[in-house]
Amino acid sequence: MASVQEQTILRDPQLFYWILFPITIVMVLTGILRHYATVLMQSAPQKQDIRAIREQRNLLHGIALRTNLNQLSLSSFTARKNYLVAAYNRGEFLKDQENKGKPPANPMTDPAGMDQMMNMLKGNMAMMVPQTLIMGWINAFFSGFVIMKLPFPLTIRFKSMLQSGVMTRDMDVRWVSSLSWYFLNLFGLRPVFSFILGNDNAADQMAAQMGGMNPAAGAGMFAPGQDPHKMFLAEAENLEVVGGQHEWVLDGVIERLLAAHN
Amino acid sequence: MAILSTLLSYLSSHPSPLRLPQTSQYLSQQAPIFLSSSDSSKDTQETWIVYEQLLLSCLRTGDDASAKLCLERLSDRFGRDSPRISALVGLYEEAAAKDVRELESVLKGYQDILKEDPTNMPIEKRHIALLASLNRTEDAIKALTALLNHSPNDAESWSQLSSLYYTQGMYPQAIFCLEEVLLILPNAYNMFARLGEINYISAQGTNMDGLIESVKHFARSVELCEWYLRGWYGLKLVTGKILELNRADKAGGIERKKIEALNEMATKKLAEIVGKANRRERGWGGFDEAEVEAAKALVDSSDVKTVR
Repeated sequence: MASVQEQTILRDPQLFYWILFPITIVMVLTGILRHYATVLMQSAPQKQDIRAIREQRNLLHGIALRTNLNQLSLSSFTARKNYLVAAYNRGEFLKDQENKGKPPANPMTDPAGMDQMMNMLKGNMAMMVPQTLIMGWINAFFSGFVIMKLPFPLTIRFKSMLQSGVMTRDMDVRWVSSLSWYFLNLFGLRPVFSFILGNDNAADQMAAQMGGMNPAAGAGMFAPGQDPHKMFLAEAENLEVVGGQHEWVLDGVIERLLAAHN
Repeated sequence: MAILSTLLSYLSSHPSPLRLPQTSQYLSQQAPIFLSSSDSSKDTQETWIVYEQLLLSCLRTGDDASAKLCLERLSDRFGRDSPRISALVGLYEEAAAKDVRELESVLKGYQDILKEDPTNMPIEKRHIALLASLNRTEDAIKALTALLNHSPNDAESWSQLSSLYYTQGMYPQAIFCLEEVLLILPNAYNMFARLGEINYISAQGTNMDGLIESVKHFARSVELCEWYLRGWYGLKLVTGKILELNRADKAGGIERKKIEALNEMATKKLAEIVGKANRRERGWGGFDEAEVEAAKALVDSSDVKTVR
C-alpha cells in the first residue's frame, strides 16, 4: 500500500518572524487599544429624573404586590390593591401627566433614545474601523503568503477557512494563509484579552456582537416608544384579576408546622 | 497570606461586620496594616469593597485617622460627587462632629445636596438616619414617606419606617410597613417574627385575635427558618399567654390542643438551641448570647410552672 505523499513546500523561515508574529502582536495591541478607546468614548450614564424613577418604581411596586400577594391577609391586600388600582387608573405616577392619552413620542426625537443610539454607534465604530484597517493592511502586504502548517490533518471543508487569499486547489488543507491567520486571531484571542484586561473588556468581539443584537436589554423597563400609561392600566387590570386568587400563607400555618415536626 | 485575601475571606465569612462589635473591631485593627501594605494600591473591585468596609468599621470603633485615610483614597478614586462616596463623606462628618451644632450643619449640607439632586438616594438615606439620631422622629418619618413615595420598592426604608412608627407606638402603621417589606422579600423569616412581636405588643396581652395573629406570624417564621431563635421564643411566649388567658377549648378559632402542642414544640426547640449554643457545638455559634440567655430564662421559668 502506498503511503500518502506528504506535501512539502519550502518556506522561508523568516516568514514566521515577519508575518505570523506581527499579525498576532498587532491584533493583540489593537484589541487593547480598542478596549481603552471604548472606555474613553463612553459617556457617563445619564442621570434619571426623579419623576421617571418614581414612575418606574411605583409600577414595580404593583408588580411586587401582584407576585407576592399571598404574603398578606386578604384585608391588607385588598386595601393596597384598591389604592394602587385607583392611582394607576388616574395616572398618578406618570412622569408627565399632561401627555397621558397622547400617542408616545417618536423615539428618534427622544433625547434619551438618541443618547443610547449614539453610544451604540460609537461602539460599532470602535469595532469596525480597526477591523477594516487591519484587514486592508494584511491584504496589502501579506496576501498570498502561506505562513504555517498545522500539525494535524483536516478535511477539505476547512480549506475555505484556512486558505482564504490563496487560490490553489491542490494544496493540503493543513497549510494556513496569512489572511486566515488574521481571522483565526480575530475570533481566537478572547482568552488572551480576558487575561490581560479582565472579564468585562470591550476588546472582545463576541461580546460586542452579542450586545449589538439586543440593545434594549440594558435600557430598563421603559424602552423609548412605550406608553407608560398603558403599562399602568395593564398592571391595574392584572391586579384586579389576581385579587380573585388570593390565598394567605398564614392560613393553616399552625397545622402545617405541627405536621412537619411530628 | 496577603492581607487583602485575608480580609476578603474574613468579609465573606462575616457578611455584615457591623452587626457585632468583635467583627468590626477585628476589621479596624487590620485597617492600618492594610492601608500601609502594597495591596492597598491595587485598583480592583474587591479592594474598594474592602476600603468601604474598613471605613465603616473604623468609624464604629473610633479610629478616625484610618477612616479618614480610607475615605481620602476612595474619594480620590471615584470623586467626591459620586453618590455613594458623598454618603460616606457625610457619614464621616457625622462621626467626627463634636456637638449637636456641627451635626445640624451636616444636616444642612445634606439638604443642600438633595435640593440640587433629588435622586441621590444614599444622601437621602443619610439625611433620614441623621434626623432619627437627632431625635427628630417626626421629621424622619416625613422624609421617609417622601422617599417611599418615589421608591416604594426599597425594603430597607420600609423596615426603618416601621421601627420609627413602632417607637411612636403607632402599631398598625408599623405592621403596614412590615407587610410592605414582605411584598418585596416574601421569605424574610425575621420580618414574620417581627410582625409577630408587634402584633403581640399591640394586642396588649389581652386581645385574643391579636394574639392568634401573632402566633401565626411566629409559626410562619419558624416554618421558613427552623432554627430561628426569636421565632421560637415568641411562639412559646405568646402561646403560653393564650393558654393562661383562655381556659376554653377554643381560643380565637384555634383548638386549645393545637396551642398546647405548639407551646410544647417551642419549648423543646428552645431547650435544644440553648443546650447546643451553650455547649458551643460546631455550627451553632451564630446565636446572640443575650438572646440565648433570655431563651434559657423563659424555658426555665416554664419548667418551674409545670412542676408547681
